[in-house]
Amino acid sequence: MAKSWQCLDVGCGAVVSAGSDDELVKAVNAHVREAHGSYELEEMILAVAEDAPDEGEPIREEATR
Amino acid sequence: MTTFPEIRPVESRFRLTPELAAGAIYRKYEKASRKVWDPKQLDYEQDRADWERMTDAQREGIVTITVRFEAGEQEVTDELLPMLAAAHALGRFDWVMFIATFLLEEARHSEFFCLWHERALGLSSPEEKARYWPLREHTVDPQGRFTVGEPVYEGLPKYGQKLTAAVQSGEETAIEAAFVQFATLYCAWVEGVLTMPSYEIVIDTTEMWDVLPALRLGFKNILGDEGRHITFGTEATRVLIEKDPGYEALAHEVMDEYRGNAVGMLEYQRNVPGLDLDKYQRQKARHYLNRCREMRITPDQRLVDEILDPDIDFVVGVEAG
Repeated sequence: MAKSWQCLDVGCGAVVSAGSDDELVKAVNAHVREAHGSYELEEMILAVAEDAPDEGEPIREEATR
Repeated sequence: MTTFPEIRPVESRFRLTPELAAGAIYRKYEKASRKVWDPKQLDYEQDRADWERMTDAQREGIVTITVRFEAGEQEVTDELLPMLAAAHALGRFDWVMFIATFLLEEARHSEFFCLWHERALGLSSPEEKARYWPLREHTVDPQGRFTVGEPVYEGLPKYGQKLTAAVQSGEETAIEAAFVQFATLYCAWVEGVLTMPSYEIVIDTTEMWDVLPALRLGFKNILGDEGRHITFGTEATRVLIEKDPGYEALAHEVMDEYRGNAVGMLEYQRNVPGLDLDKYQRQKARHYLNRCREMRITPDQRLVDEILDPDIDFVVGVEAG
């Protein structure tokens, strides 16, 4: 099932989506590393990951604010 | 003579139901069972060699963090028991199962730092380690607006005693309220916000200097464990707040009590030469917002602003008062 996660780094708000939990963890950490020089722990990502509306869509990232 | 069914109805003796086994907390228990690591299996030889060639400033930057971690891990191992008793009193068997792994992992972290100090640095006795301990009272807000407390050494015993008293009272609402405060302080605030920059500092620094691979690996292993501990605490708190929204104020109250610890980098986090400390402050704000999201509580925006305010910071090395 596709999953999404929103970055709460102040002023960011990017939404990262992926087709599975494992892919989401990788995609989120790619975002957090590139945008903020940091990382997020797997458990923390999965704790707040939400089902994405379009299952199976490729990984994408968009700023929402 | 009491019959067996009178002691406890037979059906109620089976606590691990299919519903619990399908839940988020049981999944953490399963993951903890799979992710066991052994500090004795790490190779400390390279760390010992690196330590010999590091400068005094580099050594000081690292060891002031690791001695605090060693004592801190031992303190949290020793202060976790009230949470286990409370989970039992609330009849949450999946929480009991997970907290059993949580306690074991905190003990393992204690062991790791003991081994690392002994094998890489040659530090064994408490007196040798205490020499590197930066005093908390030397961290001062020059504008006098914030004070820095000891949430681990003062807060956890205090809220642990409160939770123990609630368990002994047998009153469910008192246990839930005290659990929210204890879990918020331990898991969300101390582990999930205040300590997070220290992990990043050690991992960033040892990568930048290309030193201490066993320390770095130990920190990464510990972080994996802490991710489960933190999200257990925030999930359990979320469940209780969902049951009684009045508990949200208790969560904010306990974080506010140690607000001063978040608004600047503390003495033991400031000793590594050449680091951009603002980066770690920004990350602290993100961690706080993440914990609030996990607990589904409204963040204190003023606290976020204070964490990010460049005019609020501490100075170190002067006597308080």
